[in-house]
Amino acid sequence: MIAIWYAVVSFMLIAYVILDGRNFGAGMLHWFVARTPEERRQVIAAMGPLWSWHEVWLVGFGGALVAVFPRLMASAFSGYYLALILILWCLILRGVSIEVGGHINDRLWQGFWDFVFVFANFLLAILFGAAAGNIARGVPLDAQGNFSMPFFTDFGVHGNVGLLDWYTVSVAVFAVGILAAHGATYLALKTEGPVHDRSAAYAKYLWVAVVPLFVLISVESFFVRPDVPGRAVHNPVCWIGLLVTLISVAMLISGFSTRREMRAFLASNFLIVGLLATGGASIFPVMLHSTLTPENSLSAYAIAANHTALVVASIWWPIGFALAIAYFIFISRRYAGKVSVKRDNQGFY
Amino acid sequence: MNSSLSDPAFWSRFQFGFTLVYHYLFPQLTMGLAWFLVYWKWQALKTGDEKYNEAVRFWAKVFGINFAVGVVTGIPMEFQFGTNWAGFSRYAGGVIGQTLAMESMFAFFLESAFVGALIWGEKRLGQRYHFLAALGVALGSWLSGFFILVTNAFMQHPIGYRIESDGSLGIDNLRAYLLNPWALIQFAHNQSAALVTGSFVVTAVGALYTLRGLYRTQAALYLRAGTLVGLLASLLVAFPSGDQQAKMVARHQAITLAAMEGKFVGGTRAGVAAIGQPNVAARRLDNPIEVPGALSFLANGTFQSYVHGLDEYPADAWPDNIELLYYSFHLMITLGSIFILLMAYAVFQNWRGRLQSNTWLLWVLMLAFPLPYIANTVGWMTAELGRQPWLAYGLFRTTDGYSKVLSNGDTIFTVIGFVGLYFVLGVLFLYLVGRQIGRGPEEDASALDVGKDQELIDTPRQEHFV
Repeated sequence: MIAIWYAVVSFMLIAYVILDGRNFGAGMLHWFVARTPEERRQVIAAMGPLWSWHEVWLVGFGGALVAVFPRLMASAFSGYYLALILILWCLILRGVSIEVGGHINDRLWQGFWDFVFVFANFLLAILFGAAAGNIARGVPLDAQGNFSMPFFTDFGVHGNVGLLDWYTVSVAVFAVGILAAHGATYLALKTEGPVHDRSAAYAKYLWVAVVPLFVLISVESFFVRPDVPGRAVHNPVCWIGLLVTLISVAMLISGFSTRREMRAFLASNFLIVGLLATGGASIFPVMLHSTLTPENSLSAYAIAANHTALVVASIWWPIGFALAIAYFIFISRRYAGKVSVKRDNQGFY
Repeated sequence: MNSSLSDPAFWSRFQFGFTLVYHYLFPQLTMGLAWFLVYWKWQALKTGDEKYNEAVRFWAKVFGINFAVGVVTGIPMEFQFGTNWAGFSRYAGGVIGQTLAMESMFAFFLESAFVGALIWGEKRLGQRYHFLAALGVALGSWLSGFFILVTNAFMQHPIGYRIESDGSLGIDNLRAYLLNPWALIQFAHNQSAALVTGSFVVTAVGALYTLRGLYRTQAALYLRAGTLVGLLASLLVAFPSGDQQAKMVARHQAITLAAMEGKFVGGTRAGVAAIGQPNVAARRLDNPIEVPGALSFLANGTFQSYVHGLDEYPADAWPDNIELLYYSFHLMITLGSIFILLMAYAVFQNWRGRLQSNTWLLWVLMLAFPLPYIANTVGWMTAELGRQPWLAYGLFRTTDGYSKVLSNGDTIFTVIGFVGLYFVLGVLFLYLVGRQIGRGPEEDASALDVGKDQELIDTPRQEHFV
């Protein structure tokens, strides 16, 4: 039961990464793929009416974490205090820039909100990337399961670590790269005209750039957490995740070479799912690793809520999930098709 | 409240209180306005009268700006349980996490899927589905309110839990937890109050246009619906929901009731102070003018009944800011009474056909819209200050709940950040809503010809955001 809920919580976070990740990517590339005010509105419209539905996955992840692993939520959120509050501020700014940017058809107004939009998305990709790095590396948890970290210490990865060190920074750079590639792949699928052409070109370069970054953080991860691979090889989910990743790479290459944009975009999603699933499964059951001493690490089995909580949540969660997907399909079908520079083409923004 | 700079619990409380009060300025209008949209859309479908669709289009835009600020200020709320209240999350997360998680799965997904389509998707969805979108958003926002009120009700009156071996709380009976009688009464009270906010805002815009002589059909529609719903909702806030809420507090939080009324000494035939200042140091109510027996009646249903006084309890069980609690409660009661009188008079005038020409009443209605926001805020301050010194009433103290790992400077820094960011949001919100109201409901009806081909409506316009 606890393993299932570990999977559900991970699933919600992964869903958030692929759904909002494409918005981060589109946001980071906003200035590069869209040059005129009309094209910039087109990028925003391509994010569609469902951007806040994407963000709900993060809120849902937070909620599920309190319900099922309350002690992890308490330790991690208070320990990452300033970084997490920064993420919240960026999410506020990003949301506002999407919502109000189109309200006034004025160059200065839209230029300002475009800047906020790009800036917030960049920072979000970096912060979430660094957060992923922190989860992989571990944090200085004490015997009570508490920690508090400065932004950086000596940039080392053992003992009293900070939020940023050479490892988490490289994961953040990798996150920026792969989310930008993901966003470009999405824009290539969802837009037409010059934005489409530029996005498609950027997507190819970015995916190529992601490869050395991936090799780099893979090698680094072996040095930072030498204890993980030994356990991971016995976990079938890791092998399935790797398989998904490999198939996605093949799909991605075939999608781009045959100009099948839907195939490329699906591959991009599955690629991220595969990577994150492999990572998530390989650290299981430790949800938060202690860099001070392994005994302080928070294991899913030690910190889960009681059995009743897991059982009742297992009853209502699938119902909520099915409803959420039904709404998504309904709205997505209404907004299917490419977004052009022509105004109101999507009836949105 | 130990309001010293060096008290970390104070700053976490201040931050949560500030971000929550600010956030709730927006959902109360969302929840109130949502049913106006549903009603007008339904009328449009039923009668085919285009004026109802115009009303929906106009108010959906105001709704959208309001909703957006509500969403972005709402995200920090859930995360602050972990960032600032780690002690409480560790202790009670196994129970309250259920509703926090359910809120996302059942309410937020519903709202967020349909809100974009409600505001901009009329031609994409078609009329029937547009109605469904309005209904989905309304249901989603009220469900969200329900799950949060269940969470709050657990803090006010914990039931459905069990104590685990490590001393923390775990869920024991989900049905009891969800159907907490406190939650059901609070839901009725709070949702009626949200309808009051919605109806005052709709009425105020109707009064504004009438006074300026603009959009007569629309203005009459807003005035009629606004005052009628306003009267009904104001009555429901007081009775039965407010009355039942008071009895609930009397039954389960006797100390809180004593503090709300400044009752330092218990007794029978207890009165309600119409005027008076609590003097906590001297333990008495200064300069009181009391209605004898009224508190006994409100709390227990008979004028003779005994009401407990603060002197019966140790001072460390008292709410920690009795003055603020007392004034919040009395301000709420006063405003609630004014709402009933004002809306009853407005409905009567409208029924006699005199509202449109009653200039001073229109002025009052136009300027009255901030009052429900104040009433909702002081109502929540009454509930939350009254709960002190507990986070979970009778089980877990506020001073045990904040995140011990945070330095005071961290929290003060983020408080300042939130205040600054929310100030900017407030200015932005007022500017955009003011602009929308200034442009009025009939701006570009021609551009929204429903059911035409996508290409035909694609004409250049001054504003493409509709």
